[in-house]
Amino acid sequence: MTTTSTIIPVAIPTALRAQVDGQSQLEIPGDSVKAVLESINTQYPDLGKRLFKTEGELNRFINIYVNDEDIRFLDNLDTAAKAGDELAIVPAIAGG
Amino acid sequence: MTQNLERYHRQMLLSGIGEEGQKKLLASKVLVLGCGALGTVIANMLARAGVGHLVIVDRDFIEITNLQRQVLFDESDVENAIPKAEAAKMKIAKINSQVTVDAIVDDVNHTNIEKLAQGCDVIVDGVDNFETRFVANDAAVKLGIPYIYGGAVGTVGMTYAILPHTHNGESPWEQAGVATPCLRCIFEQAPPPGMNPTCDTAGVLGPAVSIISNFQVTETIKVLTGNFAAVRDKLLSIDIWENDVRQLKVARAYDVGECQCCKKRNFEFIDGKFASSTTTLCGRNAVQMTQKLSDGEKLNFDTIAKRLESHGTVKANKFMLQAHITDNGEAYELTLFTDGRAIVKGTKQPTVAKSIYAKYVGA
Repeated sequence: MTTTSTIIPVAIPTALRAQVDGQSQLEIPGDSVKAVLESINTQYPDLGKRLFKTEGELNRFINIYVNDEDIRFLDNLDTAAKAGDELAIVPAIAGG
Repeated sequence: MTQNLERYHRQMLLSGIGEEGQKKLLASKVLVLGCGALGTVIANMLARAGVGHLVIVDRDFIEITNLQRQVLFDESDVENAIPKAEAAKMKIAKINSQVTVDAIVDDVNHTNIEKLAQGCDVIVDGVDNFETRFVANDAAVKLGIPYIYGGAVGTVGMTYAILPHTHNGESPWEQAGVATPCLRCIFEQAPPPGMNPTCDTAGVLGPAVSIISNFQVTETIKVLTGNFAAVRDKLLSIDIWENDVRQLKVARAYDVGECQCCKKRNFEFIDGKFASSTTTLCGRNAVQMTQKLSDGEKLNFDTIAKRLESHGTVKANKFMLQAHITDNGEAYELTLFTDGRAIVKGTKQPTVAKSIYAKYVGA
């Protein structure tokens, strides 16, 4: 049986765009947050270094939202990603 | 004391405020932390709205590059080297003489936050680093004072209103069933120094800070007038250049999370567990700063060097990064070590060193 992963749009904040050749949004295949982020880690290792503290563990100052819901309060990295979902990487804003 | 309410007529026409709400504003005391881009808009609008007592705390002096966005200041303040808090007090006296302003020229940290916040009805955030924000968040939760977070850099900004869970659950917002998770529920850890751009390295568009700070003022007015149910319970994130507006849902963070601060009431930042420290280096016209990083964390010199290159000469190896920077006409040598330690040469003043670090390295 062949399966085709859904393409998930991933919003990239301005602060992290230098790590993805200036793109504001990536189109990444995957059926879970973990699959999408691991694919990002492979394609854009510089961004991956910002996201992951160690393999499989996100840095605690990076928040990931699926449809504006924090994945920590869904199923964390195991949160499902399906057609129509949007994933957003949202770092804390420190300036003022 | 009878006060003339005529100047607030247009505001009192609003059903959520009225004369009763206006009197509450006049009887209120608000702590404004930081008086830069966010803080000047916050102090300006709160004074015009008739918040009766403002405590404005800031460690810095006004620089010419501040005037693009810091709305309470002008060229004469730069020429006269007036501290920001004092200049704000003088301007507000001309805007609304009904408002009492305490101007405090000081660094906000774990040693003074509780004294500053005691007796205040709301803490509004206009600071430029996360260490101070987590200190303020600890104080807000410990003392049961609403805390309005705001941050802005470039063309993006973020704001969120914390109506804290208190030790006895008896605050009016808890009675109304609208307490919100604290800042540490949402951002478990501060981004390490150098990770994110600062206004001094990435720039900032004036309207980005004005928009965010006006949202902060709006939420503050709601709280002070007792309109707790009207307070936004989402983390608002905006990029005004790209027309991207998000309302991130964070309400479950308190119930699901294991927050050290508001759930376990373990106030690590007030206790100084993560506090940076400064030491003036004898005979060297330099200040050493020790920034506590998380276990195993190291500064990323590549990222920091790229940002600093437009501000002066930068050299780095695997042990240290050294940059020569001119800030407001003064020359500084900034040396960073991978463990977060920094030496700022060109000053003996810890507050100046902290300011240089926050501007060019960030936290």
